[in-house]
Amino acid sequence: MNFDITPASPTPIYRQIVEQVRRLISSGQLRPGDDLPSVRNVALQHAINPMTVSKAYSMLETEGILTRRRGVGMVISDSMPTHQDKLALLRPALMAATQITRQLNIDDVEAHAVFQSCLKEWTKNEPNDPV
Amino acid sequence: MNQTIPYRQEGVISCQQLTLQRDYETVLGGISLDIPRGAVVGLVGRNGAGKSTLLRCLVGLTAPTTGTALLLGCPSLELTETVRASLGYVAQMPDLFEWMSVYEHLKAIGRAYPAWNEKRCLILAARLNLPLGRAVRKLSGGDQQKLAVVLALAHDPEVLILDEPVASLDPMTRRDFMRALFIGHDLTDDLPGSDVEPTILISSHLLSDLERVVSHVAFLRNGRLQLFDTWDAMLEHLRLVPNDTSGVSASALICRNGAQSVIDTRCAPHCVNLGHALSLDELFVELNS
Repeated sequence: MNFDITPASPTPIYRQIVEQVRRLISSGQLRPGDDLPSVRNVALQHAINPMTVSKAYSMLETEGILTRRRGVGMVISDSMPTHQDKLALLRPALMAATQITRQLNIDDVEAHAVFQSCLKEWTKNEPNDPV
Repeated sequence: MNQTIPYRQEGVISCQQLTLQRDYETVLGGISLDIPRGAVVGLVGRNGAGKSTLLRCLVGLTAPTTGTALLLGCPSLELTETVRASLGYVAQMPDLFEWMSVYEHLKAIGRAYPAWNEKRCLILAARLNLPLGRAVRKLSGGDQQKLAVVLALAHDPEVLILDEPVASLDPMTRRDFMRALFIGHDLTDDLPGSDVEPTILISSHLLSDLERVVSHVAFLRNGRLQLFDTWDAMLEHLRLVPNDTSGVSASALICRNGAQSVIDTRCAPHCVNLGHALSLDELFVELNS
């Protein structure tokens, strides 16, 4: 498989790789167990810095999307958190917020608005790359 | 932006308040730079901005008027044999032994370096299509430049300082050159990564080439450092916005020209979705207007 990399794009190269891997998994073109081209091969093919590819692969590994396998390289993880799993992880935090909302007699609509503004705020100040 | 001067220089290539006066002209005006190990830094600026001079000061070929330059912690003007053996430098006008053949030249220089690896050298020469048997004086300008590059890379240096290394090369060869920079430091996938990551400083006008490989970019204008940061940070945080955008403090303003300004959205978070990110070409134009 080949990545489509545009060095002159406003999107940093490592992010282009990360987003493409995610898209290819969503669309089913990459499936659990499939291996990705080596850092070396991607770097050579596109004449880019291997550290950039390594950064992208490390980020995906941290997210649990890729697994490093000795002798093979990076493969798509077998057990990725499903959408339901992720939602299940969110419930406890929101139940705690619900408890506070009820105790303080806060209107449901207003509580929603607070959550919305938190989400917006988080996106703006999101810590960037996990180095 | 990484423009604050660290109290202790930790970098592999560093300088502090480097100044060079020549005939009452300030060629370099107080440049401070700290380049971390493994960085690939693009040094960009117009002709006459002081790029070559800065590089010459860093490798110790030119003495600054004031200020210090260090390579691997060693003062550039007093490089030890060990540091010299881990340094690769390509000057703008390469100094070559014209009477030798390419192969003889490679061997001759190779003898001066303990870490010189003939196989690696020949692989590099082959990748760049260097005619090994030809006399150096018969090489085209572009091939002479390629030879200079192979000479700089063959002993697997820890520090590489390159002054317009690809100016005379065609686009395909330039790509091969970029690839060649990383040969022998492959990050194999089942190991965390090589110990010896070369630290590279390249000055070049060919920004599209640089965009592929740089981790950091340093912008020089009239002998002064305008901007130095990781390229990813510049892409993610710098934006070109109209001058009348409200709420842009002085600390967020990088430069202002005509109708537009380059701002750093880390100091102006409300602007993060305004304007657009800049390519290296565009940023260069804005900073030099």
